Formats: sequence, structure tokens, C-alpha cells
Amino acid sequence: MNLILLSAIWGIVMMFSGLFLNSKSAAKTVALVGAVALLIGNIFDLSGKMIINSDFKGMLQYERFGLLFLTVLILALIIYILLSGKDVEAVGKHPFEYFALIFFVMSGAGLVALFNNLLILFIGIEIVSIPLYILTGADKRNLKGNEAALKYFLMGSFSTGILLMGIAFLYGAAGSFQVERLAMITSEDFTAFTTIGIVMVMVALAFKVSAAPFHFWTPDVYDGAPTVFTSFMATIVKAAIFIGFLNLFINAFAGKSDSWKLTVAIITALTLFIGNITAVYQQSVKRMLAYSSIAQAGFMLFAVFAVNDLSKQGLLLYAAAYCFATIGIFAVLVKMKDYTFEGFNGLAKKQPLVAFVLTVCFLSLAGIPLTAGFFAKYFVLAAAVKTGTYLWLVIFAVVMAAVSVYYYFRVIQAMYFKEGETQELELATPFKALLVLVAAVIIVLGVYPSLLLDMLIFF
Amino acid sequence: MDITQILFWFLSILAVFGALMMVTSKNPVYSVLWLIVVFFAISGHYILLNAQFLAVVNIIVYAGAIMVLFLFVIMLMNLNAETEPQKNKWLKIAGVIAGGSLMLVFIAALRHSNELIKTQVSMGGEAGLIKTLGKTLFTDYVLPFEISSVLFLSAMVGAVVIGKKGD
Repeated sequence: MNLILLSAIWGIVMMFSGLFLNSKSAAKTVALVGAVALLIGNIFDLSGKMIINSDFKGMLQYERFGLLFLTVLILALIIYILLSGKDVEAVGKHPFEYFALIFFVMSGAGLVALFNNLLILFIGIEIVSIPLYILTGADKRNLKGNEAALKYFLMGSFSTGILLMGIAFLYGAAGSFQVERLAMITSEDFTAFTTIGIVMVMVALAFKVSAAPFHFWTPDVYDGAPTVFTSFMATIVKAAIFIGFLNLFINAFAGKSDSWKLTVAIITALTLFIGNITAVYQQSVKRMLAYSSIAQAGFMLFAVFAVNDLSKQGLLLYAAAYCFATIGIFAVLVKMKDYTFEGFNGLAKKQPLVAFVLTVCFLSLAGIPLTAGFFAKYFVLAAAVKTGTYLWLVIFAVVMAAVSVYYYFRVIQAMYFKEGETQELELATPFKALLVLVAAVIIVLGVYPSLLLDMLIFF
Repeated sequence: MDITQILFWFLSILAVFGALMMVTSKNPVYSVLWLIVVFFAISGHYILLNAQFLAVVNIIVYAGAIMVLFLFVIMLMNLNAETEPQKNKWLKIAGVIAGGSLMLVFIAALRHSNELIKTQVSMGGEAGLIKTLGKTLFTDYVLPFEISSVLFLSAMVGAVVIGKKGD
């Protein structure tokens, strides 16, 4: 509850500080203070000390997994603000408002992670989505950004309608929005109401996490949005919606999971296939990362598919590995002028340290051992194997992971083995130090994943 | 047949007829006007169910605000028969199949709706009154009610950020 309250309040504080502080560059500092306050508040949440210690008649549930997941998201937010805060200020004339919207998104993420009632899930997803439509169109002079924002808004509103309709059907079946009541209904044989409700909710959530075949908005929106906000959308927001997805399926629909497993398996396979194969053909690194984020969503869907204890661990680790690596890559990409693969030619000679960090990030996304991505992929796939069915899906995922190595290594190859006129990169020393920290976190999590996973049990 | 049943059938036929006319009208302005008829018929149903608040809100929000918005959009776009784009034949077929499948699913679901009635908790005739609604809103549903303010605030911030002139 601390997180939800603090982030909503800090969003308002951000807006007012925009009114009273004249310098644009103060936005990053104020936002950073807020993010640290969120972290502290969330740690109090974890130890059970809350400003308002109530679950509001069963609306929220303070599960350790959800709270720990939020801690990871807040850490990612802090790194995001430290690395890319300056670039957020450069997008347009309203840096304070952009940060305010980012804090509102965090408040929504808190609701999505801790919901125990479908109404809260719905409001949380809306609070996460609406600021994103605005951030996508933040660069008003950019036509592509405007188009992306409008497209995102229209399609997002449509999927919200589908979510709402699904929730209405589930309400019709269960007579309540409470997750416990839903779990009772879905442990019996499905009535038509339950089936339609689950399918519609599944479709809408799959749209929000950009799973195929509902992924068509993703490349355009991620490509059209200002690069700093793409970084935010593709990492923190996507992970936040995934935890809602997983919690809903584990807590409410797990009873008769065989009834919907095939559907999720098909969505997963399609997402992996379309994301990975299309990413191979991209010429722009930014667009390639958009498709790669679809592919990574396919792996995260394995956690939803498996609905067991391992899937919680898997999603937690996957979110951490994916968020840190992607934020690191985007932080460098924002500074570049040329987003094509050629733009990376010869980067290793000019900026050996940055090239090394990028390599670690890409290796982690590809899931090479000794990086966090390896254990993340291992855990989500192990969760699926543990269910004992659909082994073809796991094998297919491993093949697709091999495909992903191809396009991630294209960047590494361009940096190390190709000669080229590199673009000038103005990188300050603190920025580089932070990048090294990100790489260190990825490697440490890749060697000792239990550092994070043990916190699910002890604290 | 008592007066309630007569009213029910009258409103139902009016709603279905209005919906059909809305879809089949060539002129978009007529479509919007038929849609208003549908909303009024549905509000009538709410009153029959003793849900006055819902009926009033339905008229204010849908028949009032949203319809005006629709009319504005239609007038700004200046649609008429000549400017209407020729729709692809395959697109039409795809639409019919998709819509038909959805209808099929709904019919399959509603076929069993009689069984659901007995599982529902009856709240008596008071469920739709403003007093009951207000009490529930500020006790059981206080968190979603209050937290929606964050949603509206972010939407307002967005409107200002996107709509402000001069940058």
C-alpha cells in the first residue's frame, strides 16, 4: 500500500515542483528522490509496516511475491532514472509532467501486482496504460510518434473494452469480483460464462503484454515513441502487467488449468515464432529490440502457462534480467544518432567499456550462461517441464532461443569485428560507472540467482 | 399481461428496432439519433428494474455527453454518401464471420443463463437505489472508488501535456 500511495502522491509533487522550480534539469533530481522514497516505502511494505494497514475488505493481498516483484521494478526505475533521466528532460517542454506520469504508472503497477479483486486489476491496468498513450506522443513534432500514440490509444482502448467484457462475464458466473470466488467457480466444470470470461481476459492481457497474435501495435509504437519512453514501456511496464497476468492465472484460474492450457500454449508458440523470426529481418536496432521484446514476452508467458511455484521464481528472475539488460541497451541507444546496425560498427575501438557492457546485456537477453538471462530462461522452462505436458513447446522455445542468438550477435559482431566511422558519443563518467554496475548486476544474478530467489522465502 | 410486462415488451422492441435502424441507416447522423433512442429504451429498462440512479446516469453520460461527442466527430469528419470509402468485399465477409462467431458464442452462453439466476444473491428491490449504491461505494468499494482519481488525474495531465499550444 505504501508504494501505491507514495507514487500517486509523488506524481502530484512532481507536477507542483514543475510549477515552482524553474530549471528543467531539476526534474531528474526530484524524480530520483521520489524513486528512492518508493524503494524505502516498499521495503517497509515487505516487513509489514504500512501507512494504511488494511486490505480494504479483501481488495488487495500483500503477498511476498508481489511485493518483491515491485522491489525489482522500483530498482529498475531507479536505474532508469539515473541512466536516462537527462534524455527524458530532452524529449519536450514538460519534463516534470513526464516524470509525474511515470510515477502514476508505478502506482498502477502496485495495484496490478497486489490485486485480489478484478476491479482493482482493471483500474490498475488502466492507470498503467493511459499515461503510456501520452508518453508515446510526448514528442509532438514527430509525426511518427503522433501516429504511434493514436494507434496505441485506439487499439489499447479496444482491448480495455474486451477486458471489461471478460470481467463482466466472470462476474456473471461467480457473482463476485473476488479472486477467491473465481477460484471456486473455475475449479468446477466451466460454464459458457466462465469460458468466455477467461478467454476475453486472456486476450486483453495478451494484448497488453504484446503477445502474438495481438502484437501488431508493438513494433510501430515502440519504434515511433521517443526512445527513452520505449525503454520504460518495454521493461518496467511490460513486467508489471505480466505479474498481474500470472497472479490472475495462479490465484483465480489454476483450478482446472487443462481447460485453457492449450490456448496459452498456442499463444506462447506464436509469440516466440513471430517475435524471433521477424527480429532477424530488421535493419534498425530499435525495431529489432521491439520484436525482441515480443520474443521475450513469449518466454515470460511460460510462467503463466505453467502456473506452479517455479513459475513465480522464473518470472521474478526473468523480469529482473530482462529489465536491467534492456534498460542498459536503450540507455546507450538513446545517445546514438544512427539506430541501424551499421551505427554500431567499430564501437569497441572508440568506447571499449560501453561495448563490453552492451555485450553483457545482449548475452543476457540471448540467455548465454554466466548471465542472468540464462537462469531466467532455465527457470521458466523448468516450470513448464514440471507440468509434465506440452514438451514440444519447451523444445520449440529452446530452438527459438537459438534463433535469437543470431540477431543479438549481429550487434556484438558490428561492435567488435567491423570497421566503421563510429558516431561521436558524449558519455560522462558517472554514466559509464552506472553501466558497469548494470553489467555487474546481470553477471552476479547469472552466477548466484539464489541471491534474489531466496528473498521469496527469507528477508 | 400487466402494465410492467407491456412496458418491458414495448421497451425491448424499441431497443432492438432502434439498434437495427442504427446499423442500417445510410446517414451517420440518423444512426446517432437512433442510438439515442436505444439508450433511452435501455434507461427505461433500468427504471423497470428499480435502478433509478443507473437510468439517470445512463441518460446523462451516454445519451448526453457521449452522443454529443459522436455528433461532433461526425460533423467534423463531414461524412456523406459520396466520401464513404468503398469497402472490400472480403473485408465484409470477414466481418460477417467474426461477428457471427461472437453471436454464436453469446447465444451458447445465454442459453444457460436460467441456471445462473438461482446462484445469484438477491439484494431485494433496494439494490439500485442511490442510498444503497452510495453506502456500498464508500464501504466495500472505497479503494477502487478513490484510486480511480489517480486514473483521471493522469488523463487530465495527459490532456494538458498533449493539448497545450506553443511547443
